[in-house]
Amino acid sequence: MTAPVTRRRAVLGACGLAALGAAAFRARAAERGLVSRTRAGLGLGTTVALTAAGPDPVALEAALSEGFAALRAVEAAGSLFRPDSALSRLNRAGRLDDPPDHLVALLTHALTLAERTGGAFDPTVQPLWPLWFEAAGRGGRPEPAALTACLARIGWRRVACAPEVIVLEPGTEVTLNALVQGYAADRVMAVLRARGIADAFVDTGEFGAVGAHPDGTPWRLGIADPRREGEVAAVLGPFTGFAATSGDYHMAFSPDFADHHIYDPRTGHSPRGLASVTVTAPSGLVADGLSTACMVLGREKGAALVAGEPGCAARFAEKA
Amino acid sequence: MRGPGVLRSGWAALLLVLAAFVHPAAAGELTRKDIEKNFPPPLVVGERDDRLPVWPILKQQAGSYEVFAYAFESIDFAPIPGFGGTPPDLLIALSPDGTFRDVKVLSHKEPVFLEGLGSEPLFAFVEQYAGLSARQPIRVGRPNARAGGASPQTTVDGIAMATASTRTINQSVLASALAVARGKLGFGAANLGLSVQAKPDLSEKLSLDALLARGWVRRLTVTNAEATKAFRGTGVGDIGEGAPDDALTDLYVALLDVPSIGRNLLGEARFAALMRELGPGNHAVMVLSAGPSDSPENPLGESFVLGSVPERIAVSQGGLVVNARDMAVERRGAGLAEGLPPGDWAILRIDAAAGFDPSAPWTLTEKIVRERGQILSEKIARDFSVETRLPGELFTKVAAEGEADWTESWRARWPTLLVLAAMLGLLVPVLARQKGLVADARRFPAFRLAFLAVTLGFVGYAAQAQLSIVTVMGLVRAVFRTHDFAFLLYDPPSLVLWAFVLASLVAWGRGTFCGWLCPFGAMQELAAFLAKPLKIRQIAVPPWLDRPLRLTKYVVLAGLLAATAAGSPLADPVAEVEPFKTAITLSFVRSWPFVAYAVGLIVLNLFVYKGFCRYLCPLGATLAAMGRLRLLNWIPRRAECGTPCQLCKVRCRYGAIAPTGRIDYTECFQCMDCVTIIHDPGQCVPQVVARRHAKRIVPRPAVAAR
Repeated sequence: MTAPVTRRRAVLGACGLAALGAAAFRARAAERGLVSRTRAGLGLGTTVALTAAGPDPVALEAALSEGFAALRAVEAAGSLFRPDSALSRLNRAGRLDDPPDHLVALLTHALTLAERTGGAFDPTVQPLWPLWFEAAGRGGRPEPAALTACLARIGWRRVACAPEVIVLEPGTEVTLNALVQGYAADRVMAVLRARGIADAFVDTGEFGAVGAHPDGTPWRLGIADPRREGEVAAVLGPFTGFAATSGDYHMAFSPDFADHHIYDPRTGHSPRGLASVTVTAPSGLVADGLSTACMVLGREKGAALVAGEPGCAARFAEKA
Repeated sequence: MRGPGVLRSGWAALLLVLAAFVHPAAAGELTRKDIEKNFPPPLVVGERDDRLPVWPILKQQAGSYEVFAYAFESIDFAPIPGFGGTPPDLLIALSPDGTFRDVKVLSHKEPVFLEGLGSEPLFAFVEQYAGLSARQPIRVGRPNARAGGASPQTTVDGIAMATASTRTINQSVLASALAVARGKLGFGAANLGLSVQAKPDLSEKLSLDALLARGWVRRLTVTNAEATKAFRGTGVGDIGEGAPDDALTDLYVALLDVPSIGRNLLGEARFAALMRELGPGNHAVMVLSAGPSDSPENPLGESFVLGSVPERIAVSQGGLVVNARDMAVERRGAGLAEGLPPGDWAILRIDAAAGFDPSAPWTLTEKIVRERGQILSEKIARDFSVETRLPGELFTKVAAEGEADWTESWRARWPTLLVLAAMLGLLVPVLARQKGLVADARRFPAFRLAFLAVTLGFVGYAAQAQLSIVTVMGLVRAVFRTHDFAFLLYDPPSLVLWAFVLASLVAWGRGTFCGWLCPFGAMQELAAFLAKPLKIRQIAVPPWLDRPLRLTKYVVLAGLLAATAAGSPLADPVAEVEPFKTAITLSFVRSWPFVAYAVGLIVLNLFVYKGFCRYLCPLGATLAAMGRLRLLNWIPRRAECGTPCQLCKVRCRYGAIAPTGRIDYTECFQCMDCVTIIHDPGQCVPQVVARRHAKRIVPRPAVAAR
């Protein structure tokens, strides 16, 4: 499924930068003997940007190149935006022998989370997407009969995942869009750390940060207002670790944001309770999965789920 | 004497060697730094796409990034050869909604702009694309077409004298933008590099009704009532004079290159003719208007221009309009074929490069335009469309990867190649058999003049196969810099000629080309022949001057090659020492200094025979230098040659015979004059003398030494 890259950003990157003026930052960073390098690009169906700081610009560039390579490897395994990814091939064939490690890691996490949430999080909701997308194109909602038929193809127990082979029951299609951006943040960050980068900020659609801004101030993360485009609802700072946001506004099918790209696997409709959820966690994969699960579970059950995860916290924004 | 078989296998080997060097397509060369120069901050050049040579240009917004444009080089996606075979390279920025942000010329070799017009009109031409949408076909109109009322959304103003060049540029822009749009913007299927062709042997006899029933021929009928309904609320009055249920327009739509459709609709003969004209990989869409033909709504009626991209009908796929141009097939009477309803019709050609996939659903859209208001009328348009879905089994899909476009130009030019081969096939035995036509002092000069006329008219003007030092420079450039030899393949006649010339060089030396196959050389010789009645006296260049002048051409050549290898911008202007482009390629239609130079050389030739060839020509110098590889001393000599006989030396118009009688093959143009003399007992002095001495002395036979 290709979707246009017109995602409104959940979180506004290193938003402190806009406030002070880049020149002042560069001066203060230079005092500390640090330079920073940023590389932007496209990936995972959105814009991505990797920032790293350190004393040696050559080492920074090398680390960022490796970071992008890690991102491409995750894309090649689990992106639905690439028709040649392992996941796309799995969906077409229903079976994939010798799947890449990234895909196994993503899918194993997805199935574990599905079990823990009693199926509220479900990686097999992919068939709902074309149904809703097409209906929205006509200006309506899917026919109830078509929706019922589609629901029969959904269920996380229809997926058998092992390191040697992944098998889907006939008609099943898997999406990892709820996890892959967070997972990519993990992988990129791991590569940067291995290269000895102590200060970095990673935006793969979800966010990860380590250390501090080269000028010595902490990284800060603005959380977008789910209703007012471009406005910041809250600022997380100092920010280290990982954060992921799920919202009803990314890819809304209806102007009131009632129908959007997150589905309740039991009904085939979008969950009604929340406008957006931001989860901070020690890993991007965990943060990303929890934020989507919380959207489906609602505030009460979602809060309970997050409370059970070490080092995690959630912020909820109700629908107006 | 080596037979022609050796020569032929020589060409084959050369072609193979060249093919081994050839890259599948020319590739863009811009680095990240170059791209950053074109998209300066606050724009950010993102990481290059890992699958397509496309750079995302990003804009930072509140701490995160948005896509501003996709930047790419047209040559990576649509290397369409321009004048002389070199594809233009354009830097194109396409915004995410499919409109052009910017188009810039990176490089081109279009002579009409490089000299004469200058590059400014070209730069102004490509600026017109900014703001236009790649979703629509864009046509090159006449100069000032937009001011003259052509749609500014779908027309760019053309440039007088540069129709062919602007069309190449337009095609490069559209085809590359389409490929990127399909690959990056998610328009339609990502069928980049995919060629989908109808299976030629799959043909079924079907009536029009059966075709309609299967949906293989589609019908787009708009009734008066439907049109009225579509324009409701726009302030346009009722449409059509007839009853509400009468058809306002009625179109039959069919993809003709599918044999089960085209053969049944057109009949065997016309289908075969169409397929021949269409060429493999391209597609033909028939649109037949069976509605009221005199209605202003008839899209193929009076407003339709033969051979144009129709204004009111469009073929689209996946939300993108596909460039479809009327083939201007001969209209014989009103009807297209028996069994089809009468009416106006058009056959639209879709180029293989358009990325059109006939096995996927495609749409024909008809635009109905109405005017609102009486005085300051305003045009209001409504679209009506019909979708065609053909079964995939009708087609074969070939991933076109690795197959470069150059095969097309070889297929398209086979008649030229055939004539060229015939010419060479005639020339070789005539030159090789010295006691044949060459020995005939009366008929051989006539043959020579006729052959030179064909060299000038056919090789030069018709086939545009004047070999040039520019090609040698291109080779040097490829060896030292680009490593891309593909440019050679786009000009089949020249390549064949090069192969022949290299082979003849090894056998006979430079003369075969310089004396027989160089169109400018032929032009000089014919001019000199025509000037004979003028009684112009040739100026004899004294040896002390002749020798350094001969060396001049090597100096010119060395300078040119050095400048080229070093990548100096001087190389191209210095190459203008060669007047071939002016005289042959551009037929003297060029700015006056160039014309004066070329004409001057021809006038010089009347006084100093082939002065340019002997003293200046860098191509001649190249061939003369390489001619040292020559295997044969093919001009027969006698012991008396030089001592005492000086006849051939005096008669040689090229000064290629030393007073000793030795032949200087690097200066020999293979005119055969001396060979004719030596085989003519009435001219060859030693033989004449021998005959006078009656039968006592047996004439020594002429021997061609190896």
